[in-house]
Amino acid sequence: MKTSAVVSDSIGPNPSTMREDEAAALDSIRRAQAGDVDAFELLYREHAGRIFALCLRLEAGDSADATDLMQDVFIKAWRRISTFRGDCAFSSWLHRMTINTMLENARSDRRRIARVLPMDDTSLLPGAARSSGVELKMDMENAIASLPRGARLAFVLHDVEGYQHQEIAEQLSVSVGTIKAQLHRARRLLRERLER
Amino acid sequence: MTHDVIKHLLDDYVTGDLAKDARGPVADHIAACGICGAEVESLKNILARAAELPKSIDPPAEAWSNIRAAVERDEEAVAAHDKSAISGFWRRPYLLAAAAILVAVLSSGGTALYMSSRNVAGNSSSSVATNAGGATPATLVAFTIEENNYLRNVAVLQDLLDQQEALLAPETVAQLKASLRTIDEAILEARNALARDPANKTLIEMLSGTYRQKMDLMRRTAEMTRGS
Repeated sequence: MKTSAVVSDSIGPNPSTMREDEAAALDSIRRAQAGDVDAFELLYREHAGRIFALCLRLEAGDSADATDLMQDVFIKAWRRISTFRGDCAFSSWLHRMTINTMLENARSDRRRIARVLPMDDTSLLPGAARSSGVELKMDMENAIASLPRGARLAFVLHDVEGYQHQEIAEQLSVSVGTIKAQLHRARRLLRERLER
Repeated sequence: MTHDVIKHLLDDYVTGDLAKDARGPVADHIAACGICGAEVESLKNILARAAELPKSIDPPAEAWSNIRAAVERDEEAVAAHDKSAISGFWRRPYLLAAAAILVAVLSSGGTALYMSSRNVAGNSSSSVATNAGGATPATLVAFTIEENNYLRNVAVLQDLLDQQEALLAPETVAQLKASLRTIDEAILEARNALARDPANKTLIEMLSGTYRQKMDLMRRTAEMTRGS
């Protein structure tokens, strides 16, 4: 993933080689691993914004579903934080957990998989009322939310979050070719919707 | 390359994923083809707008309190689990005898004693159906069934060791208490972690392995005291 800031390469680096914020983040992780909920709250405050943005886009702009997903992710993160060994950035660990949780939820709730809004019925989209203004970014959010699920996941993970084709293919258990095809479809649909 | 081929390469061209040797011919075509040129501009526009989207969006304010409540419920459940596990485990005094024996086994003298006594050990302990060296259960359900077997076998071994406790010096019993505590703490720690993360196969393997070690040592110790 291109966008994540690395907290540390391992759980026990020399503190003198770390930046102050990295050391603070590492300290929060260690304390949370020891059961300190206040330290876990610091981690939440640091990462919740990015995770919620990802959840919102994965859940087609539905704020309630996105909030549920984000809560599931952080509760799971708390339960599993002792397994975090610093092999990747903490933010990457959370991102991966978010995608996996979304996929698990989708598997256990087929309604989510089947839920694809009609292309021309954007009034049903969350935030549609807000998009009646002139803000282009909100138009883009609504257009992404209206994409079919597979195309939306590929677009959000690749073009918004910066994952590589291979990483997405592995996480979604599909081929790289499928991801590329979904990306092409997503971009074509977005162009049609944004340019009409 | 023809227009029909190149139009399928435009995504990779724009994102920089196109192979180096293909970029030249595609760029030449785009410069000459109005349709492909417009497509490329449109794609660039989409990618630019995606890049401008906010990376961070504030979640609802109540989200953290919901998470914290769930986390604290988890903690209470784990604490209750700890309490029952500890009280159940340490109320049995015959474990102390097993601890003493364990230290003897771990010491070089004990090991030598074990090695020399191994040949004369009777079959009583081997009548206990053990899983030492057996396959690790793959799921929590399988492990729970297996754990009951471990505990039943440990109880049989403890009865046997209890009968043989008089053979051990009191200071050995005291010294080995700490050793057994270490093993049991490892079991408790793994059980707590498993309570938090029931699907974690590594934890199941770890816990299963610790039980097997404990049972194996108790079995060996029973054999050793019989031979001494």
